[in-house]
Amino acid sequence: MIRDKLTPQEHRSLWDEFRSGSQDAFSRLYELFSADLYRYGYNLVRNRQLVEDCLHELFLHIYNNRHKIGTTDNIRFYLYRALRRRLTDASARLNKLDSEDYIFDRAEFLIQSYETELVEQQVVDRQKEVVVAELNRLPKRQKEILYLVFMKELSYQQAAEVMNITMKSVYNTIHVALSALRISVIERLNREGIFINVSIAVLVGYMVRIR
Amino acid sequence: MEKEDQPEDHIKKIQFKENSPSQEDLERIRKRIWNDINKHEVIVPWWNRPYYLAAAAVSFLVVALGIGWWNINQENYKTAYGEIRKITLEDGSRVTLNANSTLKIGNNLDDNKVREVWLTGEAYFAIAKHNGAKFIVHTTEAEVEVLGTEFNVIARRKNTKVVLHEGKVKLHAPNLPAVIMKPGDMATVMDKKQPIELRIVRTELYDSWKESMMVLDDKPVSEIAEMLQDNYGIHISFADTSYLNKRLNGKLSLKSTDDFITNLATILDLEVEKRDETFLFK
Repeated sequence: MIRDKLTPQEHRSLWDEFRSGSQDAFSRLYELFSADLYRYGYNLVRNRQLVEDCLHELFLHIYNNRHKIGTTDNIRFYLYRALRRRLTDASARLNKLDSEDYIFDRAEFLIQSYETELVEQQVVDRQKEVVVAELNRLPKRQKEILYLVFMKELSYQQAAEVMNITMKSVYNTIHVALSALRISVIERLNREGIFINVSIAVLVGYMVRIR
Repeated sequence: MEKEDQPEDHIKKIQFKENSPSQEDLERIRKRIWNDINKHEVIVPWWNRPYYLAAAAVSFLVVALGIGWWNINQENYKTAYGEIRKITLEDGSRVTLNANSTLKIGNNLDDNKVREVWLTGEAYFAIAKHNGAKFIVHTTEAEVEVLGTEFNVIARRKNTKVVLHEGKVKLHAPNLPAVIMKPGDMATVMDKKQPIELRIVRTELYDSWKESMMVLDDKPVSEIAEMLQDNYGIHISFADTSYLNKRLNGKLSLKSTDDFITNLATILDLEVEKRDETFLFK
């Protein structure tokens, strides 16, 4: 997926420009990352007002402290981590409960609808649905790790830092999630009598791997 | 199960349900942030040292005027590749600016007898009636003069295309007789000395980009390639160039360009390979 068009060097130089006080660089940061942060934030808390407030505070905070913050070659990672912290704190204040209960609740995987219009083979679609349904049954913490690592292309280390857990538990979680997924998909397809003689790479996505 | 089917590959190919902010949402948050940044810089010294009130008040005024002046001169809108932006002008007219386009706004849109804007790229205009004041869209090749109406202008690749949805517009080009357009007309102005070409089209084919959709309606693949280049900065090429002449029908979403390219490949029954900045279909 080509979501993030900046190279690590470009990340670094944009961030350094911003740190040295460039208004222009700050504007660019907002343009490049605000929408993506909003999406992640909304998946985390499902509350538009809260996401807006935290984004507002986050950008103001990094602006006011630009001379004090360190370098990074992945701005998205840096901002994700900061946003998640803010949202967890705000949501804890709001709910007066363990905020982890609310974080990443109700976030889900899906198959894009217009894509299915193109592909008419029913069986294939059914198998894709099974995979997505199984993915959605995973615990939300596992979903969030998969989201950060596979959809947002963070490293295991970065995902661990964003979620404030250890690298080891990211590894374990991904391993557990993928084996559970593999087993449950096969079981379910067998149960429904759909033969798995077609490669799942074809079943799942019809998505050509770009890159 | 075959060996190469790693579950992680499957996950990468599935989308995640994302709720995107609208352009208005992002603009509103941006305003809040920028507002606070400016406030912060002015208010802090004033707060700490009350006897500098006068000085602070003066500097506040200067800053406020500065910001005001900056705003007046900031009436340029530019969209990046892939960005579509909705703008409401001072006079109440609404403009949707397509990707990789620039719109400059003339001064005093609200009071002048003639309202003027300058466009490169593509935009959809819904012009508000305003005390009978004319509205003129300038492109390199032509001028579109209107009273109150809705139309789409494409000023790219050295020609200007105007598609009229509602109302009436007059189209001028240097050294050519002016043309009056009726709803459903599409006018094309070339940079050479050819007369303005007028034909009747299905207007909905020319504004679907506002909803990030592409209506193909017998469009040749070459035109789709041009659109990707113009609006998204994406270059696609074909191992077998005869595919460029193939005509396609249907609708494709442009919300994600990755998906668009993938779907295009599926329709054409080709494989895609990314090489540097080019997608090679083969």
